[in-house]
Amino acid sequence: MTPIVQVNDLRKRYGEIEAVRGISFFVESGEVFGLLGPNGAGKTTTVEILEGLRKADGGAATVAGVDVFRDPAGVKRRIGVQLQASAFPDNLTARETVRFFAACYDLVVDELALLRQVELEERARQPQAKLSGGQRQRLSIATALVNQPQVLFLDEPTTGLDPQARRNLWELIRSIQARGTTVFLTTHYLDEAEILCDRVAIMDEGNIVALDPPRKLIDDLLGRGFTKPVLQQKANLEDVFLDLTGHEIRDA
Amino acid sequence: MRQTFRLFALLLRGYLRDRTALFFSLIVPLMLMVIFGYLNLGDFGRVSVAIDDQSKNQSSAQLVQILKGIETLQLTDLPTDQALTKLRRTELDMLIVIPQEFAIAPARPGQNVPQIVVYGDDARPQQVAVGRQIVAQVIDRLSFAITQTAPVIGVKEETVQGVRLRYVDFLVPGILGVNIMQLAIFSVAFALVADKQRGVLRRIMATPVRVPNLLAAHVLTRLIIATGQVAVLLLVALVLFSVTIVGGLAPLFVVALLGSILFLTIGFALAGWATTENQVPAIAQLITLPQFFFSGVFFSKNAAPALIRPVTNLLPLTLLNDALREISVQGATLWDVRTQILGLLIWTVAGFILAVRLFRFEKF
Ligand SMILES: Nc1ncnc2c1ncn2[C@@H]1O[C@H](COP(=O)(O)OP(=O)(O)OP(=O)(O)O)[C@@H](O)[C@H]1O
Ligand SMILES: [Mg+2]
Repeated sequence: MTPIVQVNDLRKRYGEIEAVRGISFFVESGEVFGLLGPNGAGKTTTVEILEGLRKADGGAATVAGVDVFRDPAGVKRRIGVQLQASAFPDNLTARETVRFFAACYDLVVDELALLRQVELEERARQPQAKLSGGQRQRLSIATALVNQPQVLFLDEPTTGLDPQARRNLWELIRSIQARGTTVFLTTHYLDEAEILCDRVAIMDEGNIVALDPPRKLIDDLLGRGFTKPVLQQKANLEDVFLDLTGHEIRDA
Repeated sequence: MRQTFRLFALLLRGYLRDRTALFFSLIVPLMLMVIFGYLNLGDFGRVSVAIDDQSKNQSSAQLVQILKGIETLQLTDLPTDQALTKLRRTELDMLIVIPQEFAIAPARPGQNVPQIVVYGDDARPQQVAVGRQIVAQVIDRLSFAITQTAPVIGVKEETVQGVRLRYVDFLVPGILGVNIMQLAIFSVAFALVADKQRGVLRRIMATPVRVPNLLAAHVLTRLIIATGQVAVLLLVALVLFSVTIVGGLAPLFVVALLGSILFLTIGFALAGWATTENQVPAIAQLITLPQFFFSGVFFSKNAAPALIRPVTNLLPLTLLNDALREISVQGATLWDVRTQILGLLIWTVAGFILAVRLFRFEKF
């Protein structure tokens, strides 16, 4: 089977800044693929080029069998996106927001079923602007699913969420994967990548410096003789937080 | 088409929920109308006109008689040289010279048509504009009556009734035009640039939506609002200023909406080009101010320097105001103002192409 995302020697510069310096990788159909890296590494740039939102300066990329540079509209029809920074049209309810995006794809969808999938059915009539951060992320994923995409791109989906909401979103991402959708996400949270992703690429200053399953990256590191300066604690503060506040999502 | 209407339905719903925006979109034009209406009414008064009747025949007496019957005009008899002096001192608004062989009669081919010379005071262009319009109308009606070979005496009465052009009557179509322009350009440009800055447009452009459909949906939404605005303005004009609208309300509405669409496309082009909200007012002023001054809103178009008049006559607002005024003041039909309508349509097409071309959801 050919990979669902193929990237070859992709380059992008903004004036003096070389944001992406000739990266190559592929994403297998059906996997959860994570792009990791510090701020400014070039993650958003890479993702948005693949989404047909930014123009690259060189290289080649296909998504779901479509050449991104030749047919960005074709790519857009086949993918779902959640942008790192974006907003929804004003004064619409959650349900209307889903309908708006369905209209953008010229599709008629069962809006309530989509909201149910992201556990927002009870919020269908609530103004979109009044949703909590976690709810808004879930609504955002619902709008990204209107066209039953082959690949779902999520740019930092869990940034700014509390531990419960993050875990809830992980569940959602897993359930989307279980339906056969490939998920391509970026994150700063390494625990998230470790738990969620089948493979991760680590990006730094426009280059991919490692690409493997998380377990393998860790084993390789240990294989190089790495030891943690302090002994691994049996629990960390997040475990304390979750023990005290429970695993239940707060703003469902 | 279906996509346009579905997007339109949702955008309109969102817009109607925004009470503040709705309030301002109806209150602001009202305020403009009332302010301009009263301001200009106060300082306007009547048009003082001197007549130098050099022919002193029956025809000229008849014309003078008709003009005297018009309440807006304040007539005095003065020889040309004296009148011109007064005109220079702005003690007079206008001078009408009736030439010696003046006659109200059907012109035969090759025969010279009698020329009435009208001098205007450049310092009081509004008054001159009204005065000229009245004179033009009187002459129109007289000529019409002649060529129809209707009894001239009958026409006289009709004319006296028909030509009751007051300054508000002249002003209202202009205010309507300006409001249409301001609201379309400013409201759209600000709202869309805000959408752009908040990332709404980026999110939408991550879908395969067709840009012309999205723009059309926005245009339709604003058009509904614009219809409400035009209705409110006309209502106020009719109730508060008891404006006489000689032509039909329907053609007036049609032209007003055509104008709205035109300026909406310009608003979209501006919003497409601008990347920050700060750029909007500057560019919007650059587009609207010259039109405000040169397209005969408050001042006669003829107040513009002759050199640039060929240009100012083609400005979108000039076309819109001319059409609105001819319908409202002179009772023109849509067919009568077809040149202006054609001009508006051409501008609209140009605006739409520009809007689609300039449409950028982000700067790269
Ligand atoms: N539109 C732009 N114009 C100019 N420079 C840009 C633009 N977008 C990104 N950059 C620069 O390109 C580099 C990569 O940015 P990018 O947003 O891709 O990083 P990122 O890995 O997503 O970072 P973060 O984790 O903070 O989201 C940065 O140095 C950034 O300043
Ligand atoms: Mg980023």
